[in-house]
Amino acid sequence: MAASTGGMPGTDKAEFLRSVRDALGRREGPPTEPYHWLEESLTDLEARALELEARLRENRPELLDRLSDMAGRGGWNMHRVSGVEAALGCVDSLVEELGATRVVRSGQPVFDDVQVDTALRWRGVEVTAVVKGEEARREQLREEMRHADAGITGTDYALAETGSLVILPRRGLSRLVSLVPPVHIALVRPEEVLESLHDLFLLRRLEHKRGGDVGSYLNFITGPSRTADIEMTIVQGVHGPRAVHMVLIE
Amino acid sequence: MPEIKTSEFATASASAMLDPQLRRALDRVGTGFDVARRNAIEEVTPEAWEEWREEARRIKIHALDNLDYYIELLSDNVAAAGGQVHFARDADEANAIVSHLAQSRGVKVATKSKSMVSEELELNHVLESVGVDVYETDLGEYIIQLAGEAPSHLVAPALHKSKEDVAELFRDKLGLPYDEDIERMAAAARVALRDKFMEADLGISGANFVVAETGTLVIVTNEGNGRLCTSAPRMHIGITGMEKVIPSMQDLAIFLRLLPRSATGQRISSYVSMITGPRRADDEDGPEEFHLVLVDNGRSRMLRDPKLREALYCIRCGACLNICPVYQRVGGHAYGWVYPGPIGAVVSPMLTGLKESRMLPQASSLCGACREACPIKINIPRMLLELRHRTAESEDPQENASPRSERFMAGMFARLMRSPGRMGFAAGMGRIAQKLLPAMPRRRGWIRRAPLPLLSKWTQSRDLPMLPAKSFREVWKDELSEETGSGGTRGS
Repeated sequence: MAASTGGMPGTDKAEFLRSVRDALGRREGPPTEPYHWLEESLTDLEARALELEARLRENRPELLDRLSDMAGRGGWNMHRVSGVEAALGCVDSLVEELGATRVVRSGQPVFDDVQVDTALRWRGVEVTAVVKGEEARREQLREEMRHADAGITGTDYALAETGSLVILPRRGLSRLVSLVPPVHIALVRPEEVLESLHDLFLLRRLEHKRGGDVGSYLNFITGPSRTADIEMTIVQGVHGPRAVHMVLIE
Repeated sequence: MPEIKTSEFATASASAMLDPQLRRALDRVGTGFDVARRNAIEEVTPEAWEEWREEARRIKIHALDNLDYYIELLSDNVAAAGGQVHFARDADEANAIVSHLAQSRGVKVATKSKSMVSEELELNHVLESVGVDVYETDLGEYIIQLAGEAPSHLVAPALHKSKEDVAELFRDKLGLPYDEDIERMAAAARVALRDKFMEADLGISGANFVVAETGTLVIVTNEGNGRLCTSAPRMHIGITGMEKVIPSMQDLAIFLRLLPRSATGQRISSYVSMITGPRRADDEDGPEEFHLVLVDNGRSRMLRDPKLREALYCIRCGACLNICPVYQRVGGHAYGWVYPGPIGAVVSPMLTGLKESRMLPQASSLCGACREACPIKINIPRMLLELRHRTAESEDPQENASPRSERFMAGMFARLMRSPGRMGFAAGMGRIAQKLLPAMPRRRGWIRRAPLPLLSKWTQSRDLPMLPAKSFREVWKDELSEETGSGGTRGS
């Protein structure tokens, strides 16, 4: 066993790479045939992103229909509402139907418009907002999440191709709000809807190229948590939520 | 590494075929996963599917042909995101790295999401030996961990267990009342594991893909256990075979279309998690430390071998298992090591050695269904033939899979086939023997048991076609060549 630095077991990086190179019979250096995606410059990516934006704007009505269809097939309960008031009403009645008494929500900007806290508290529901700068309360927040009846979040992107929501926790959202409570309610705005997986990865790569960081975490959510591990019988809600609701605000 | 029982394939498969419970379980996989896969392909159209397969294959060829370059790029980008990559030449090194990380951070409890590589390393045993309690959290993996068994399928590890088996396990190991309701058993597992998730100091995951361009680890799951393992504990260790590196994040678009559809027929799985380094200063949650362990453990041997390199393109979807007539009869455990089915019959001999696993390449009818089903178009039948060739030609008696009698027969057959005269003579002798031995059980032109030396071995597990009254050569000479008028000279 070749020891690397600091008593850490394992093979030294250079040696490991050398053995791979040996196996390939290859000389050190980049591939002889350059890889097209990795050749893209910031300008290329920006140009593609502009085209993408125009395409999305043009096709928005169809995209929302497609998202709604695919999300429904993927296991989301779809609620299409027009305007902030209707969205608030929808969340309110979902929480009422659940008989939820405790709710956690993330700290995304969508909640500046859709003020669920006031509406739900008026109903007597305990609402915990997981907002930035509350690291000190981390343990306490985790406990509250465990006992919450529902988690409410916004989204960063929605994908029409797969009916998925894509969430980046960096933008004021705990990773656990959409996962730990038994029901997840997500608010989606039209400008967040992308057409395909290719669109999403283009935008993420652009951000990486610009700032040098893609963020620590990105998560796709498509329908409820499920398993078929016992006799291939599908059960919903193993470790994540058993029911998920998408409120699409048009 | 786990005990290698690949040499016992013949006996293990024979007894597996007599197990009625396994039969039912394997039928469910065929009708469940494989039918769903076909429907998913119909939905996107077979033409689009074919294009995606071609592109995925091109990406894998490029990535593996330049693997050292992409591993280095990956390693740089993981470091740039605040994580650390470790390199393990073999199972012992990989286990030592994870144990060292766990011990030096005072880890007591670890939760784990599904990882085939960790099965290959037997990581759980090693961690337990240094005082870490490890909990598998994928429901199927949890069940087989409680049972002390190995996975029998790449995607559905506990498919061989009936609901009654699981109910008994939960009663005996978790002290729960016997209850064979599947929904309630899943709920019981949720409760049992929820505490562990919150208690754990360490989350261990595998990886479906790792992206060199951004240093991102990608896991595809349905239960949400992968998200909990990688979000709740203060340290996350990802552990994966080095072949899982893909060049660009853009490549994921194709692989995320292919993998879930091939595995379970889903358009996409419930969750896809992409992890790039530990939590940043302004994140509210997530682990403080991120480590990625890249494992060789025999993979560079496959890389070195141009005829078998493409086995490393595998994305572990399990489609070749679900469609394989051999896997469908014998199940995963008969293959005797971590990776079952057609792809396992190539990978296991390469990772464990041809000596141990020389029987596995024989476990195929070479029907080609695996290649048709493979989302990366891996030519598994060609590699099985290549391995058979090597076991048949090997000078090392321990590697040679052919018994002396088989080699003798093959030699005789080759001599016959090279000479029309000898061939005709032997056929004549055969026809006489057929007549003189009327006691041979037959069925519709097939001899079921031949009570002759050597031939009796052949008919132990196969039927032998009966010789027709006239050979093709004779039919051609007497009848066909005159009918066509073009003469009987070609080929003679």
